[in-house]
Formats: sequence, C-alpha cells, structure tokens
Amino acid sequence: MIAKIVCYALSGLEGIPVEVEADVNKGVPSYDMVGLPDAAVKESKERVRSALKNSGLLFPMNRITINFAPADLKKEGAAFDLAIAISLLKASEQLLGADVKDIVFLGELALTGDIRPINGLLPILISAKSHGFTKFIIPAENAEEARYLGGAEVYPAASLGDVVRHLVGMQPIPPLDMKEFIPGQHKKGTADLRYVKGQPIARRALEIAVAGGHNMLMSGPPGTGKTMLARCLPTVMPDLSFEEALEITKIHSVAGILGGDGIVTERPFRTPHHTATTVSMCGGGNKIVHPGEISLAHGGVLFLDELPEYKRSTLEALRQPLEDGCITVSRAGGTFTYPARFMLCASMNPCPCGNYGSTDRTCTCTPAEIRRYRRKISGPLLDRIDLQVEVDNITYDDLTSEDVSEDSAAVQKRVNAARRIQRVRFEGTDIHTNAEMGEKEIQEFCALTREGDKILRDAFDRMKLSARARARIIKVARTIADLDACEDILPRHVFEAVSYRLYDKI
Amino acid sequence: MYSSEEKTVIYASAVKGMNGRHALAFIRDGSGVRRLSEKEEAEASACIGAFEKKGIFLLTFLSEDYPESLKYISDPPLLLYGAGRRELLGKRKFCIVGSRITPPWAEKVGRKIAEELSEYFVIVTGLAEGGDAAAIAGALPKGDLISVLPCGIDMCYPAAHAALKEKILKKGLVLSEYPPGTGTAKFSFHQRNRILAGLSEGVLVISAGAKSGTLITAGRALDYGRDVFAFPYNIGISQGEGCNGLIKAGAYLTLSSGDILSVYGIEPQEKEEVSAEGDEGRILTYLRENGETHVAALAEALNMRIFEASAALSALEIKGLATKSGGNKYAALS
Repeated sequence: MIAKIVCYALSGLEGIPVEVEADVNKGVPSYDMVGLPDAAVKESKERVRSALKNSGLLFPMNRITINFAPADLKKEGAAFDLAIAISLLKASEQLLGADVKDIVFLGELALTGDIRPINGLLPILISAKSHGFTKFIIPAENAEEARYLGGAEVYPAASLGDVVRHLVGMQPIPPLDMKEFIPGQHKKGTADLRYVKGQPIARRALEIAVAGGHNMLMSGPPGTGKTMLARCLPTVMPDLSFEEALEITKIHSVAGILGGDGIVTERPFRTPHHTATTVSMCGGGNKIVHPGEISLAHGGVLFLDELPEYKRSTLEALRQPLEDGCITVSRAGGTFTYPARFMLCASMNPCPCGNYGSTDRTCTCTPAEIRRYRRKISGPLLDRIDLQVEVDNITYDDLTSEDVSEDSAAVQKRVNAARRIQRVRFEGTDIHTNAEMGEKEIQEFCALTREGDKILRDAFDRMKLSARARARIIKVARTIADLDACEDILPRHVFEAVSYRLYDKI
Repeated sequence: MYSSEEKTVIYASAVKGMNGRHALAFIRDGSGVRRLSEKEEAEASACIGAFEKKGIFLLTFLSEDYPESLKYISDPPLLLYGAGRRELLGKRKFCIVGSRITPPWAEKVGRKIAEELSEYFVIVTGLAEGGDAAAIAGALPKGDLISVLPCGIDMCYPAAHAALKEKILKKGLVLSEYPPGTGTAKFSFHQRNRILAGLSEGVLVISAGAKSGTLITAGRALDYGRDVFAFPYNIGISQGEGCNGLIKAGAYLTLSSGDILSVYGIEPQEKEEVSAEGDEGRILTYLRENGETHVAALAEALNMRIFEASAALSALEIKGLATKSGGNKYAALS
C-alpha cells in the first residue's frame, strides 16, 4: 500500500512542501530512499526503525521504498523523521481509519520515540499556512514558536506514541492556544540610557541616529562606555510591530538561535567579534545558506566594536546590504535572499593608542600610524555613516555621581514622534526613514533656506568637508528638524548636523 | 641664461658631485672664479638642459637672485635645485615650523597665522605632517610658499604628502639642496633646517617637544641672528616643552599674527571683523575668558541646552572663531 504524507523543507526563509511517499510491498525486506535525500535524511532510517520499535509499533519487514517529491529538490536535515515514520505506519496499515491528509508533520525523532525540536519552524508554518494547510503536528518543544501563528490548528506532540494516539482518536492532543502580540509588552532588557553616566553629546547623537534611521560611528578612548551606549540603541528604537517581530523570528528560527519565548520581542543587538569572516557576517554555508550576522541584526542593531580591527573585505561586504536592506548569497545549493535592514553602529579609537586629540593625555602614535589606522575604514563605508561623534573621557566623578540621567522610555517617545512625521512624509514610497532618502527626495523634502545654503557653503570652505558629506549633513539636519517638530530646516539644525561630521574634516 | 660663473658652480656641484671644501677649491681661482674649459662648459650646459627639461632650475651661490640672507650664514649651500615660482626668492620670507605631533588647536592657530602672514611674507617651511602641514595649508591659497625638502626635489617625504607637494609645485616653490633622486638621511633633516632658518627673517615654532628636530631650526635661527617666535603651552604638555623652553630663553611669546608683524613694524590692515552675536557671542566670550571648555560644561555655565551649544559652536567653527580641540572640547581662536 502507498501512503502520502506532507512535510516541509526550508529554503532560505521560505518553506517548500515536500511529499513523503512510502510504499510497503511484499518481497525481500529492504529499505530504500529516493528523491535526493542528504546524509542526515538517509540516516533517519535507523532513527525511524528504533523509534517505531520503542513506541510499541511495528517496523514493517517488507520491501520499503520512501520517495521525496519534488524529486529535484535536495532534502536536508532531520525534520522529515516524523513524516517518514507516519508514512510507514500508514502504508503498513497500522493507522487504519486515521485521516492524515492535509496534516503537515514536522519533527525529528529520537531512538526512544520522543520528538525533538527543529530549526526554522515558524517560517515553515507561515509558508504552509499561505499554501492552504491549517493542521500541523509539531514538536512540543517548538510550541511557543507557533503560538503567534493564528488561524491554524497546531498540535504539539512530545513523542511518536502521542501522535499515533492522537491520529487514531484514542487520546487527542489539545490544539495550541494562540497568543496575541502586543507591541512593547515583552520588554525585559537590562540596558537603559538611565545607567549611562555623562556623555551628553553621544546621547544626543544616538537619539538623532535612531530617529532618522542613520548609522553612527562613535570615536573615543577605550573604556569610556561606547559599548554601553550602543546597547541602549534597541531600547530607544520604536517598539516592534507584529509583522516585524514575525520576520525577525523567522530569521532567528532558521538560524536556530530562538530563545524560549517563541517570538522575538525585542530588537536584536548583534555584536560580531572583529575576527568575524565575511561569510559569518553576510551569511553562507556549504549547501544550505545560513543567515549571517547582518540578517540576524535585521530590524535591530549591528554593533561593530573597534571598527578598524575588522577585516577590510568584511567591512566592504557590508556596503551593498546597507544600501539594499537585504543580502543575496549564492551557493551550490541555490541562491538565497535574507532581509538585512539593520542600523549600523560602530566604535573606534581615534588612533592606535587611543589618546589622539585628548587634551590631558599624550598620544604616542606617529602620524603615519594614525593614517594607517584610519585608512582601514574606506571612504565609501564612511559615506554610509551619517553621524560621527566623539565620546568623552569618563572621569571618576562621572562614575560615582548620583545624577539620574533621562531614561530610554523618554527618548523613545521623542523618537516615535519624529518617526511619525517621517511616516507621513514618505507615505506611499519604499522609504521609511530620512536616512534612506535619495537625491530626489532630498530635493523634495529638504529645501534649504538661502541662509541655510550659505552656511553649508561656508562650512565646506572653512572645514574642508568632502563633497559627498553634503547630502548626509542635509539628511541629518532634516532629522534634527523633525525632532524639533519643525517643518523647515533652520540654520541651527544645519549647524548641529555639521558638528556630527568628524572624519570628513581635514 | 646661466652666466659662466654659475656654470662653474654647476659643473663642480651637479656634474662632478663635489661638496664643501672640494667644490670651493675647484671654483676659486685666485680671487675670482675659475673659467671652465670648452668641454667642461658643454657638460655643464648639457646638465642644465637636462634639468630644465624636467622643469628644475638651478640656483647657485653666485646667481643674482640667490637670497642675500642665505648667503651670509656660516655654511650656505653652493647649489640649490628648485621647481616652481622662482620669483618668490626675492620677497621677504618668514619661516613657520612645528613638530609632526602637533595638537589640533595649535595646527588651527598656526594655519591661521600662516594665512595672515602670507599677506606680507613668503612662508618658508618643510613638508612634514603636523606643524609644517598647518603652515602649508595656511599659505597655499595665496601660493606665496617655499617648501624646502630634506631629499631630492623629485622625491617626497613623507610619501603621503605627494599630492600636497604637487599643489605646492603648481602654486609655490619647492627647493632642495640635494640632487634629484637622493633619499632622506638622518643628517639631511638637520642640513635642511639651516636653509629654513637661513632663508627667513624670523622663525615661528608652533610645536616642539623637548628633543624635537624643530628646535634645531630654532637654534640655527638664533645662530644666524634671526628672530624666534613660539607658541606658549600649558605645563605638562610634552608637545610644547620645546616651545616653552624657547620662550624661557627669550623667544617672542606669540599668540597671533599681530605679535609677529609688530616686531617687523608692520601695521596689519584692518580686516572686516567677523562678528558673533547672541548665543554665539556669549559662548565666544566664555571661551575667551575660561579657555578650552567641554561642550557640556559650557552649556551648563551659559544655561543652554547641549545641542543648542553644539550648534552655536559649529557656527563659530565655520566662522573661524573657535576650534574643536578633541574630546568634545572647544577653544576660542585669537
């Protein structure tokens, strides 16, 4: 007899339906698998055999053929185990009367018959739902991930025995309770601007950066709290909407780094070490392409501490995703596109010894050393960093002062207001924030007064700004005006924007 | 174009590669200058022609436009290679030097002074980073600038300043004592410094550590009886120990171009006063009274919001009245 069971394979963030067909015939006992299974799928033979036996079920001692359709898609991973086991049971007539049509089975089997969790459950469920499937049997340990799916019957099962008892109607599994996502409800992070001592200028730059979606670079001596400031970035960003949360969860689910909550409720903050390779940053892998750090930071912050220490090629690879908001990686197994719309926050020392420009400590670097250090960051990359700010040296008094600084929630409120203005401004376009404006939008929305234009012209002459800095200064000035709830860009906005250009000045 | 006397010097120095005493012994003939044989003169002319093709002129001790001031130092160079505006040699010259590690504010002030002095003097300096670069940046717009190299005129040290050197070649003058193709050596910086001092009426030292090479230039200037000027520094700043030492030894304490011009009896032309009003004016007054101040302290003292203060400071910076001196601190200029 032949049985067909539906399962799902993962391709990037998309689930692709795979039919598992089992044919159990009379003949010399054998067990064959066809349809491009990879090693992990082939090994399921042994897991399924033991799991059936240990669940009190029979492994058919006949001629068995398992086929995976479509036959031209490579099948990888262990998520097919449960579907194979069910298809065998169905084909060997051990599930008589049970209706397995239109149910999607997902899960890896342990030898004992327990069901183990799989990676990428949420993207699979979302794809399957869009393909019209509404019934799912999933590993119990993945249950939290499925709670926000809505409009589907999801049955979390702990073991193969549970599944069989559910299917034949002996002991039905109660369907999973769905949850409603409320933005901002699940915040639990420990970082908060309230704990950042001093640093008034960096705080202001941080607020502007988040309000306009700008990337920022902090320069300052080691140990002055650059990392701590960066960690506060997600806390002042607008709360995640359900769609955003779902998209981020999908990526984290595929990467297998999803926590126990089942859904990502806070904007991600990723800090890859400076030894990170281009592949780990952008995504890659042998056959399946795993999302890289920039995709894991999607919707949140990618923090690069000690920017010049990163490999040049790795940094250059960031340029295209910074423009496009996504990354396309091609490998033998196919071409995958992952979203990568993140805010880049970087930190660096002003020179190798860290004291250049400091008034109370002496820099011991030679000019050539400083030049070499700075040259590691290419102009095109700096081009994409709108705000460059110096972080102050912390004094002992700063650390012990009991002044309470403004907390993240207050800053977030102002950011939200500025973002609302931008939403109205860019209604009906692909643009979300001021930072994404192109030349056309700058002309349309950032008209400078004659006075403002003169200031900019003077600034260029006096401060020897590079020509490409102009657009960035205007964009930042636009954001500052938005924070000010001001329709026009006034001279004071331009002046302030100019003060955040550190590395364009000669 | 070149007189026979000049050709004798060129033959000795450039063709035969003789130095110092040997060259002088060759050139002298009793109380006059040796006349070259026809063959030697042809060689000298060929040498001159080859250099002229490369755009290099030869300035000999006996040339008419050899600067008087350089002629009377103890060991004047017999031959200088030059490229650029030769006529600058005939004008009044003033030297501005500084060490490679110069604080940002000193660079800014040095640049401003170079810019203002270039109205009255040709600015003489080297080509290094820091102090020299500040002097070049100030004088380059007008172009009255002589850069003396410690290496051959076709070489560039530091290599990173190749583009800057090209600009000087276009607008100003580059000089060197060494034949094209010569690299730098330890001694060549010292020897170059004597030319810097020798060419100029006075020397301004904008930064110098306790053992800086810049002090050699200042020392030479004293030997030659030139005026020495220096920026004052705070106690404990190593980049300024040399400057303070010079002042202690009697150099003119210099805060602005006016301090230098008054020594030479020049009344600076009244310049259009750039004004700062409102918040900017208050900040400028505060900076002048209290010196270098952090933005946050400034905002607190003047009861402003931080971002208002940084906007106003930016405005002052654009107007050239204040400068950022690192670590979010600002200082007033002049």
